[in-house]
Amino acid sequence: MHRPCSILLGCLALLAVVDGGLVWHHRCQERLFAVADEVRRVTVAGLGLSDLCLATEARYTRHPAVTDLVVPFMDHPGAMDHFPTGSFWAAPVIVR
Amino acid sequence: MSFAKQLNLIDYSLSSLWRRRFKSLGVMVVFAGVIFLLASFQMTTKALTSLAAESLAFAPEITIQKMRAGRQESIPVAYQARLSEILGITAITPRVWGYYFNETKGANYTILGLDPLSMPLGDQLGRAIDQRRLPREHEVVLGRGVQGAASGSGSSIISLFRPDLSLKAMTIVGNFQPETDFLTYDTLFMGLADARDLFGLPPEMVTDLCVTVANPSEVATVAKKIASLLPDTRVVTRQQVQKTYQSVFGWRSGFASVCLLTALTSFIIFAWDKASGLTPEEKKEIAILKMVGWQTADVLALRFWEGMIVSLLSFVVGYTLAYVHVSFFEAALFRPILIGWSVIHPSIPLRPTVNLGETLLVLCLTVVPYLTATIIPSWRAAIIPADSAMN
Amino acid sequence: MSTALIELENVCKTYNQGQANQVLALRDITLTIAANSMVCLRGASGSGKSTLLSIIGCVFPPTSGRAAIAGKQLTRMPDRFLTIHRRATIGFIFQHFNVLPELTVLENITLPLMPLGVAPRQRKERAERLMEMLAISHRANFPARQISGGELQRVAIARALINTPPILLADEPTAHLDHPLSLAFMEIMRDLQASGKTIILTSHDRLITEHPAVERIIAIQDGKIYVP
Repeated sequence: MHRPCSILLGCLALLAVVDGGLVWHHRCQERLFAVADEVRRVTVAGLGLSDLCLATEARYTRHPAVTDLVVPFMDHPGAMDHFPTGSFWAAPVIVR
Repeated sequence: MSFAKQLNLIDYSLSSLWRRRFKSLGVMVVFAGVIFLLASFQMTTKALTSLAAESLAFAPEITIQKMRAGRQESIPVAYQARLSEILGITAITPRVWGYYFNETKGANYTILGLDPLSMPLGDQLGRAIDQRRLPREHEVVLGRGVQGAASGSGSSIISLFRPDLSLKAMTIVGNFQPETDFLTYDTLFMGLADARDLFGLPPEMVTDLCVTVANPSEVATVAKKIASLLPDTRVVTRQQVQKTYQSVFGWRSGFASVCLLTALTSFIIFAWDKASGLTPEEKKEIAILKMVGWQTADVLALRFWEGMIVSLLSFVVGYTLAYVHVSFFEAALFRPILIGWSVIHPSIPLRPTVNLGETLLVLCLTVVPYLTATIIPSWRAAIIPADSAMN
Repeated sequence: MSTALIELENVCKTYNQGQANQVLALRDITLTIAANSMVCLRGASGSGKSTLLSIIGCVFPPTSGRAAIAGKQLTRMPDRFLTIHRRATIGFIFQHFNVLPELTVLENITLPLMPLGVAPRQRKERAERLMEMLAISHRANFPARQISGGELQRVAIARALINTPPILLADEPTAHLDHPLSLAFMEIMRDLQASGKTIILTSHDRLITEHPAVERIIAIQDGKIYVP
């Protein structure tokens, strides 16, 4: 019968192996991403993109970097912002 | 305190946790869950911020938009000529971009019309398109999210409504490559004339001007000059674009972090409450231990090891699961919250990084309060007099 | 000739000293107990015998007076050193056995050895010798809650002996045992005394107070030694 310490050590070793595997996976991914990054660089520069395509349903979530500052409230008076994105994103730095 | 003694105390702690395994496992599952949420949120926001920083490092140095009554409006192409006197500008590219709402699909598209050959790396833009060529007149390149919504997948024609409700048909000559999804998923890329035609813009108007500056260190100076030359415009620099994304996903400022910290605080209060109340069996156990020769310090060490084992295991498991969640599942739990509802959902390749400083931050926010919450009340238990075992 | 292992001189013990609920539990107790003897403390509930047992057992020091146990003065000894001295000198057998029910017999017996840093193998070897002596080897891996009262008491005895202390204290050891088990217990005590241990028992049980192995009875009444 193993002492409990050894079992704990075994569990920690198992976790270390899993985490080591994830580190290795991360390194492998980096190599793949390097190739994709080149294509993205060309896309952003060639098209003059200023924003990521994350949320497409409102102007200030699709293009937060170049949108009008009062756009969240421009649809009609009292319009609610695009929830939950509008609530979870901090205000643009210009406002501060 | 000898190493052999500590090993013995760890053995006893583990046995003790195993004897109360359902309770211990429950605490670990909840604790790991809280850490998973915190770490996932932190990794997701950091990954998104990094993605934006890396991807948008090649955004136009300066973008000029015209403003009237606080709103953006079309800018005359003639403004290009007024900028020619500013030294340092190597190219000015007029652009038409806007939004198109597809009522059938309920999706918003981004329409982008420009001549890319005047943009930096524009001559290589074909690499980002599967058919390796740029659209000519009446031709369009679609983002992959739009292709599916076009008139039947596999179709080579897409028709869009002009403002007067007449149809504009364009030939689809390619899709953007999958690795550009999080940049172009909703985009229709066409020539400048086609974009103007679609939006009903007069030929002398565009939506913005992209300015290329030769010397990156002169961008701010050039931007100031543009702003003073064209006071009715808004001048957005690349640095401002990047700052927007740094703050947008600032996890310390979002109310998601408030919710998560509330969950964490509740858990710590629960842990304190659990550690404060000793059952008669626990009191008896401690009295017996004291009677057979265990000291107060030994009992405290026992509680410390119990707390340490639970919290460290929970931390490692929670953090590992968070990494897997963000890396392999694109933070599926948080995406709907961070990015909201959307008809078009591009795949976003998140690359979480485990950073020592931020890991220590999560550790200090979770493990340290938990240990404090369990050890401090344990002091009361540890000073139970040995002779109470005799009663 | 036996030397005095336990020496108490004018020992007093007051609980809650200086407070409204102050209680004088022991008054001017003077006694010596020689090494390798078996003594029984007899007294009614509240007479102070448990307090006297606790002082002899190095659980707490006296409020005043001199108490020397196995050559060490207890008066004004800090709790940490008291624990260390108790660990090395005293084996306690409780009235209710006070065995942890969820631990196995082996784990219960080796409990006093854990904070000393004794390795698992050595702990097991020492426990196995005692279990064999007390005929409970077959119960080594059973949880304590699954064994009989008589076996529980032998577990308590084994635990008390694991550190090879020179002094054994047993508080009402036969209170929860039937007659045959009580007799068996006294035989074990006699054997331990023969091996060199000093044994102090507290009991009302005539089986113990009138047992031939008990060399001396000390009667306690109202916190004082009662001499009829």
